[in-house]
Amino acid sequence: MAASNITLELKSEVEDLLNAYAQCIDDDKLENWPDFFTDSCLYRIIPRENHEVGLPTAVMWCDSRGMLEDRVTALRHANVYQVQWYRHLLSNPVITSEDGNTFNVQSNYAVFKTCNDGESTVYNVGRYVDVIVRDNGVLKFKERSAIFDTHKITTLMVIPI
Amino acid sequence: MTKQSTEGPTLVWPKKYNEIPKAVFEMEELWPKELETIFYGEEWHPIVHRAEIPNPGDYKAAELGEMPIFAVHGEDGEIRVFQNTCTHRGTSLITESSGNKKELECPYHRWLFNLQGDLVGCPNSRDYAPGFDRKNFGLAKLRLEEFCGLFFVTMSDKTPPLKEYLGESFYEPLSRILGGDGRLKLIGYQKVMYDCNWKAYCDNDGYHAPLLHKAFALLNWQGGKGFQKVTENGHLSFESELKIPDDITALEDGSILDFKGTETSTGSIVQMQFPVTVYSKHMDMLNIRYAFPKGPKGLEVHYAYFSHEDDDEEMLAHRIRQSSNLLGPCGLISMEDASVFSRIDIGNKTPGNAIFQKGVEDEHKLSFTVKQNDESGNLPRWEHYRKRMGFERSES
Ligand code: FES
Ligand SMILES: [Fe+2]
Repeated sequence: MAASNITLELKSEVEDLLNAYAQCIDDDKLENWPDFFTDSCLYRIIPRENHEVGLPTAVMWCDSRGMLEDRVTALRHANVYQVQWYRHLLSNPVITSEDGNTFNVQSNYAVFKTCNDGESTVYNVGRYVDVIVRDNGVLKFKERSAIFDTHKITTLMVIPI
Repeated sequence: MTKQSTEGPTLVWPKKYNEIPKAVFEMEELWPKELETIFYGEEWHPIVHRAEIPNPGDYKAAELGEMPIFAVHGEDGEIRVFQNTCTHRGTSLITESSGNKKELECPYHRWLFNLQGDLVGCPNSRDYAPGFDRKNFGLAKLRLEEFCGLFFVTMSDKTPPLKEYLGESFYEPLSRILGGDGRLKLIGYQKVMYDCNWKAYCDNDGYHAPLLHKAFALLNWQGGKGFQKVTENGHLSFESELKIPDDITALEDGSILDFKGTETSTGSIVQMQFPVTVYSKHMDMLNIRYAFPKGPKGLEVHYAYFSHEDDDEEMLAHRIRQSSNLLGPCGLISMEDASVFSRIDIGNKTPGNAIFQKGVEDEHKLSFTVKQNDESGNLPRWEHYRKRMGFERSES
């Protein structure tokens, strides 16, 4: 493992990306959310229960920028759901490998959800497994999988993780 | 015939067939009676498809009412369903939702059962009570029938044979959801918890689809021809043609809605089997929704998705992609149902009746003729429920 190439600058650059992504969702700036991905990309939210035994079905699966945008369109204009806010807490980011311009990164997350009854609940907990690349100098997700432990979703999931 | 209960809580049922008392969703004391007369009564409940436990030793845990059970694929290739309890002093044997075991060992006193449910080992049995005979301590097996690889259980000896119980109008489309021949492969689960009474979940209808689900309109996705078929014991089948417009302007990437359609279907089949199971085939998604009421409030639903053994790689990838986007708790075209389940649960805490309108031709009798976008197809199920529960219809 080329651990020596993982500089502090790279680490903080990766962490900036992870933080900015979470902030974008929590601030409800979902129109900007697809910009965190490269044009050809894979974004999945998949139950750990499926993932661990090799069952591929996810609960969200976008394999193009268009599909990411369609999720936002549906959420804004078609889906009916209770008003809700997310708060992502991120921890333990680790760059597991890198080869110059591609970085494999893992981190943990917990998403708290608050609805307009004022109650906050631990809504979804899991880990991100990411493939991050440098795209015109900027770090972006080529692949982002949110593999979630909380495999029994409460009611529905409309906002991406 | 329909078992009628005379004991327990009662509810006066409205005279008109299209009126359902909202209290039926809210009275917690109905639950023990529902367990007795419905979940442990003369009904069949699907538990597992062979594709979920394809190899000897594979098992899957489930619940029937409040009773923990599990299905296991035996060494002999047969699938059996047992109560999830050790025949010694009751410890549950299966703790994971699924997996593979060579034998079933109870950790407490190490009684050992084989995959066929026989007790094959019990330490220090020389000191057991004089009447002990290992042969009498096999796992408790449930009555089981199979249809296209799907295994159903019932707690009653009096339940009619499965095909008779479902009726042809139900099992014929079901066979198409199950790939025509039941040769399916599991591609994964989505699990969700709804905070409503189980009966609110079953009450979904043909009226709401184009109205609630705005994605249908956004996609200019007009329902084609269709129909509903309903049986006297409350099973309901919808079939409709899906006309996906060639040019989907609302979507950046419309490929998700491709209908490659190898099975015999015009696009969409949705079936509701009494008391609480939904099956569906929309476009190329083959889906069983196992449902587990958590008492009077709360319903856990496990969406199981399948591909067909004959699928080529492209078809398999397409099914996985559709199944991962369109239905279930994050379903682009369906998550609104979940919102309604929550909201109906709030609204039902008010007095009075829920009154069905669309498709009701005569409030004073039950009709089995239901058009595609009617909600009256739910009324035979309510009538079946009322009889099972022994509720009297009021005279005025
Ligand atoms: S309870 Fe299972 S061995 Fe005693
Ligand atoms: Fe619906």
